[in-house]
Amino acid sequence: MAESSQSKSGGKKRPRSESEGDPDADADAASLQSIQLENDLNFTDTAIALQMMKAQFPKLDKVVVRPFILRSQLYSSVKDRTQVDRDLESLKKEAVVRVFKLNTGKDDHAIMFMDDYLAQMENAVKRYDAKDKQLSDVFDWFKQYVIKSKTDVSISHPELCSLLSNGGDVTEKHVTLLINAGLLTCQLIDQNLYWFVIPNIGSILKGLSQGRKELLSLINRTKYKEMVLANLEKKRLRLSPLDIRFHIRDLIGSGLLKTVQSPIGLLIRLSRD
Amino acid sequence: MWTWKALKQREDGLLRPSAFRRGVVSSRASSLQLSNAKEFISLHRGAINSLEIDSTEGEGRYLLSAASDGTVAVFDTHRPTSSSTSSCASIAQHHPLFHLPRAHKFAISRALWYPVDTGLFITASFDHYVKLWDTNSTQVVLDYKLPAKVYGIAMSSIATSHSLIATATADVQVRLCDLASGAFAHTLSGHRDGVMSLEWSSSTEFVLITGGCDGAIRFWDIRRPGTFLLLDQSLSQLGTRPPLLPTPTPSNNESTSLPASSKSSSSTPILPAQKRRSHKKIQLKPPTQSSHPGMASSQNRATAHYGAVNGLRATADGFYLLSSGSDSRLRLWDIESGRNTLVNYEAMSIQTSKPIQLAVTPDSSLVFVPCLASLKAYDLWSGTTINTYRGHYESVNCCFFNAQYQELYTGSNDRQILVWSPSIPAATQIVYLYILGIP
Repeated sequence: MAESSQSKSGGKKRPRSESEGDPDADADAASLQSIQLENDLNFTDTAIALQMMKAQFPKLDKVVVRPFILRSQLYSSVKDRTQVDRDLESLKKEAVVRVFKLNTGKDDHAIMFMDDYLAQMENAVKRYDAKDKQLSDVFDWFKQYVIKSKTDVSISHPELCSLLSNGGDVTEKHVTLLINAGLLTCQLIDQNLYWFVIPNIGSILKGLSQGRKELLSLINRTKYKEMVLANLEKKRLRLSPLDIRFHIRDLIGSGLLKTVQSPIGLLIRLSRD
Repeated sequence: MWTWKALKQREDGLLRPSAFRRGVVSSRASSLQLSNAKEFISLHRGAINSLEIDSTEGEGRYLLSAASDGTVAVFDTHRPTSSSTSSCASIAQHHPLFHLPRAHKFAISRALWYPVDTGLFITASFDHYVKLWDTNSTQVVLDYKLPAKVYGIAMSSIATSHSLIATATADVQVRLCDLASGAFAHTLSGHRDGVMSLEWSSSTEFVLITGGCDGAIRFWDIRRPGTFLLLDQSLSQLGTRPPLLPTPTPSNNESTSLPASSKSSSSTPILPAQKRRSHKKIQLKPPTQSSHPGMASSQNRATAHYGAVNGLRATADGFYLLSSGSDSRLRLWDIESGRNTLVNYEAMSIQTSKPIQLAVTPDSSLVFVPCLASLKAYDLWSGTTINTYRGHYESVNCCFFNAQYQELYTGSNDRQILVWSPSIPAATQIVYLYILGIP
């Protein structure tokens, strides 16, 4: 149980006694301590927070997915939400990260580093065996023209076609191939708009929504609807492959849980409204 | 205490009187609590959907409330009608001056005072009617029948050349009703689903802002057909406005990001593909409507929210617009550049089915948002939660900030109108009222 709270990156960080994050925490290979979430809850910079959370992404055995971070997790880690939004916008414009809109609940966004996303895309394309070899050029065109220039979460059909046609002639079959490979999804509201998606992420998203519900019901069952963070961290969720730290950060950021300082330590409480 | 020191500084001339007044007003506005001196006895038997105080010069005195059982009531906020005596304190009770039990057949979604004086008020309801009432005789003077249920109405308070009521209905068209002639002036079409909220611009009398159930916010100049601006949540500015001349970066506006785009027709955001190389196999529908110069194309599908836009409020200076959507986000837009300022208002949950009424303090420092059963006050520029006001038992629908007294009135589904007033000790209260010039 305790190993789920171990840091996953190669470097280990020195333990900090205060809960404020240290932006210059260098990978100190000397100390091999498990990081308690209590010490790791706050960061001062968005980019640092992204790097740290990418490093702490849980290792999944069934599905191979590159690390992604939810936007609500960023909100729980960095104090000023407006600054997070603005930093994220500038990181998006520099094409360092990519933001995707998820369909689990209202206003969920996933952030992935650009190289991780490209690697994930390569894996998905390799795994998807295209019947017509000519059509599979569309994946290269997609990577070269669309991803580089369009940094939004969605794209309209005419624009997609005109961007792809920089590589060659584009037909509807090409777009269908992209959708079948899992790189684009049709929006329900509007037939002409497509969402960018992270391929092969479906089972994880299911685990995400089920894990949220399980964690909330776990805290709801306690007498006073609260739990000490140290105890909560040690638990394991049955329904979600993602570890509990992931879910705790996500729920604090979306406002369903809140943290309260107490003499014992940090308490996690269900927020009522 | 801050006040006494500031008073002394004002006497000595170190602090200007206007600055002192501003400080007093803003400290009162951020210390609101459920009032223990004043209450409104509401006779409504349904959820309260709309609250409004008249905006006559210098005296915002009468509170107009409308409920979902089709009743309208007017309260006097200055003079109580009676006071309940309890053991320690007496609460001033305000009974309604009049209460119309059957103003409309179905729920009333919005009631407005006529902007010039309190002789008229206008109500809009789900029974498809917008009615104009004479306050003194409480009789209907004019009514307009609309094709669908009316979600909201607005009248411009700075208008001198027109007296138009803009109506937002479940129909896709926004209709403008003329008070002077009693007929419809014209209709504005462009939304793709019903229109839920609307607001006149506080700086120009001809600009109307509408928010629809499709998530789009459109700006209309009523003198011309068509929308001239659509707010897109993906276009953002980080504090400062973008430069006027477009920079040649690939990740800019949608229309300028196409690499081999033809130089002509840069006004339509979506380029038809026929203008490109001849061996294209994609057939796109050409835009069927030619756009006027300066107008946004009808093909533009930018959305401001991921759900319906159910509340709009412009700041008093006319520079910024706040919009709340059923995706539980509140966004602040810079009207001049039309971009999202990316201010993040901390976690809130906004009810999705009804239009809500937001309130902003006149000095644009605080915004009050009804979030389910509580009301939250946020700092406008940074998005931090200043206060949460919990007092209602069910979801809050509307709120109104009385700038003269720095009081907040809220109405909710539990049929109550609650008053939130600044909580300061009584001694300083007298000093404050004297300074603010209130008798």
